[in-house]
Amino acid sequence: MAAEQPQPPAEHGAGADHGFGQVSRLKGVVFEALSFGASLTGIAALAVLLIYVAIDAFDLANASPEWLLTYFATLVLPLIGFCLYSANDADLTRRIVLALGGGLVGTAVVFQAFEALVRPIPRLTWQLAYLFVVVTPVTAYVVFAGSREPVGRVGFGLVGRFLIGTALGLALILLFIAVDQRLWFLVYTAGFLPAAVLFAYGQVTETRPLTILAAPVALVGSGAAIVADGTITVYPTTWLIYSWTFVVPVAAGIAGLEYRRTSEANRALLVGALTFALPVGGSFVAGTVGLSQANAVLVLLMIVVPVGAYIRQALESEGQLGLVLPVLLAAGVLLGAFIVETVGIPAPDPWLDVSYVTSPASRDPSRAGLYPAIVGSVFLLALVAVFSFVFGVGTAVFLEEYAPNEGVLGTITRIIQINIANLAAVPSVVYGMLGLGLFAQLLGLGFGTVITGAATLSLLILPVTIISAQEAIRSVPSTVRQGSYAMGATRWQTTKNVVLPESLSGILTGTILSLGRAIGETAPLIMIGAPTITFSPPQGIWGSAAAMPMQIFAWSSFPQEEFRYGVVAAGVVTLLIVLIGMNATAIIMRNRSERA
Amino acid sequence: MTDNQAGRPVDAVSRRKFIAAAGGAGAVALAGCTEETGEGNGNGDGNGSGNGNGQSSLSGDIQIAGSSTVFPLMSAVAEDFQRDHSEVNIDISSTGSGGGFENHFCPGNTDFNNASRAIKEEEEQMCADSGVEWIELIAATDALTVVINNDNDWATEMTVEEIAQIWESDAAETWSDVNSDWPDEEIERYGADDTSGTYDYFIENIMGEDRGHTDDYQATEQDNTIAQGVQGSEYAIGYFGFAYYYQNSDQLTAVAIDDGNGPVEPSLETASAGEYTPLSRSLYTYPSVSSLGEEHVAEFARYFVEQTTNRELVADDVGYVPLTDEQQSEQMSKLEDAIEEAQG
Repeated sequence: MAAEQPQPPAEHGAGADHGFGQVSRLKGVVFEALSFGASLTGIAALAVLLIYVAIDAFDLANASPEWLLTYFATLVLPLIGFCLYSANDADLTRRIVLALGGGLVGTAVVFQAFEALVRPIPRLTWQLAYLFVVVTPVTAYVVFAGSREPVGRVGFGLVGRFLIGTALGLALILLFIAVDQRLWFLVYTAGFLPAAVLFAYGQVTETRPLTILAAPVALVGSGAAIVADGTITVYPTTWLIYSWTFVVPVAAGIAGLEYRRTSEANRALLVGALTFALPVGGSFVAGTVGLSQANAVLVLLMIVVPVGAYIRQALESEGQLGLVLPVLLAAGVLLGAFIVETVGIPAPDPWLDVSYVTSPASRDPSRAGLYPAIVGSVFLLALVAVFSFVFGVGTAVFLEEYAPNEGVLGTITRIIQINIANLAAVPSVVYGMLGLGLFAQLLGLGFGTVITGAATLSLLILPVTIISAQEAIRSVPSTVRQGSYAMGATRWQTTKNVVLPESLSGILTGTILSLGRAIGETAPLIMIGAPTITFSPPQGIWGSAAAMPMQIFAWSSFPQEEFRYGVVAAGVVTLLIVLIGMNATAIIMRNRSERA
Repeated sequence: MTDNQAGRPVDAVSRRKFIAAAGGAGAVALAGCTEETGEGNGNGDGNGSGNGNGQSSLSGDIQIAGSSTVFPLMSAVAEDFQRDHSEVNIDISSTGSGGGFENHFCPGNTDFNNASRAIKEEEEQMCADSGVEWIELIAATDALTVVINNDNDWATEMTVEEIAQIWESDAAETWSDVNSDWPDEEIERYGADDTSGTYDYFIENIMGEDRGHTDDYQATEQDNTIAQGVQGSEYAIGYFGFAYYYQNSDQLTAVAIDDGNGPVEPSLETASAGEYTPLSRSLYTYPSVSSLGEEHVAEFARYFVEQTTNRELVADDVGYVPLTDEQQSEQMSKLEDAIEEAQG
């Protein structure tokens, strides 16, 4: 230790290379600055666009400073305070306060000076600039910092589960607009339920023939249900169908899990009964305030289960105080609304409101809505996800695990590989023409129908899905496969039990990225004759469906200014929200599979 | 409690009875929660009887494709129709007149095709080949509008010949080339793409086929682009359908066109009176006769023709020139004949 040589401090390590002189350092610094500038330029341009879209969609240009101040005080400050309390770091608190305060003065001065000296900035005030440039990033940072500590983790975990539950419930509702819920009722009752009971019974009593019988029973039952659907005329109400096909099995399943975990029958019964009673009871309450009882039961079920499980878990761990976060947020919103109402502060009139997402398109901008297009897009995307996952992963597994690498067949495999790589670069219009010729005309799936659209979009993103799935499968070390073979596993068993679970997160990442592309595609949909405008959501997969990007594109050429700015901006924000929501769900699924 | 040997069977029987009774009650309760699904099947046949009250007894799909110019009018009418008949699904695609005839209407996939020009001979042939019969209905009148910048005070009135000199294939370079009183500044041109029906129409009625259309202009399908280009430069000129000018008339100046009888400004009045020549044109929709055999399609067609004189909808909301009452009754009798033929 005593013989240690004096060394330059670590951060000056680069300076120690005297042999390379000053020049190489300059180059390095310039390169670093350039790459930093390049990344910043793109992000900044995107941020400016998103800021303006948000301003248009939420009519923030007309938001008075008092309105902004009210919600800043009732909603944003408590949130920041909660995060700072959670982080419990005096240094961080000092920096955040400094950033908020300094940012306030700085933004005001810079903004006013720019407007006075250079040119006025359209539709932006310094308060809005402060909101977007300082408050939003600071809040995001402090949420990030706070959510890493126990209290914040519990709080945001709870809010997150609440949001995800709501989103899943809404997605189910959207799917049931296009899927016939009566057919689902029959298929579930005659096919899925007997098969599940058979399977469970077989598992418990360890009679293997019964478990194997489950699949054919499900198939036969579903087939019978589809046949019966044409003849039966009396059905339970939608509410009863949802309760029977979703709430009852979920409650039973949760009670079963609880029993297996704790072996306490009473406790399991209680948990199951609560899982059943909360959505059902809640739906009656929702019915009394004029909401759809059937839809409420779906949303509530999706919220109750994860939130309930999470709260129970959180109560046993540290950071229980975080459970007040949802209360804090809700109270902030209510208090803000109360102040705005009583003081009479003029509030902005956002284009993107509840009626925008629940009403069909209209020639009157204030009445125009995106509802049929939202349902159409979500339904299209659900099908595309299924198609591209099945075909993409199937192809990738075949090419990586089964296709021969040598000889004539190996050459063919390589040719296929090259073609797939090239197909990824083919313009989307060409895929649209392919869809028009192949699916709409040759196979007769119909012009502009959901199935034609989904098939076309799946083809469009298939190359990307295949390539990313291949990369993911290839990244599984071959030693793992060899180990599996050494244990005597067959190739099928190795693929199913070793390779696919290991590569699933990579496969999902690729699929998510390409689904994001599919939801925004317009050109192929125009080619296959998807309707530009329709006033009702798709009626099953053979019905025609409007899609969000097409509707937004159509609005952008309307002569009225309200369409080109307000309605289109609201559409873009809705599209982004749906996209981010779907991606977030998929990313969470991916992270789950990584952890498992 | 009678928990003795004698009590047991009594108790068991009563429990079984209770279960049976509860089951029966449950079944009755469930039956209360059921609903009939008759609507879909019943209405397919029940259309004739629903004719009297007309409201919401109609159901079915209506597929419409064709011209992007007629699209706003058709979707406005469809929106109102759908409000009264929520069981009728109307899909409208904006595919262009020709694209609609070729890909959708003549192969028999759509019930209506909108067109900003009359059907062409080869399209008639195509429809005849696949056995699609149609009738022609006039939907509205469009007044193609030539626009200039608000600061332009010299060219507010132009003759057809002057406009032709600006847009022909051997086009004038500066404003003073057209008229020596005008400034010696280069002309900036913004116009419709050569795939557009508006482009063909402009050549046909202003320049003539021989003189053609200049290549030296900003070609676009988006009227917004044309409007913004003309707003941005004092020396710019452009043309597009009347609707865009009508909705934004304070940002642009419309050129009054002199077709030999003095300058006429484009307006709803001059176009419907037939004074705004040669740039007012008819817009059409073509229903298929076999589709008119279905009651919901026939009802929609009747509603459409009724609305063609609705000034509030056609002019104020969409920006086209409504039909006159005589034109409307002419279209209506044509339509009724076709419906009668189709429904026998």
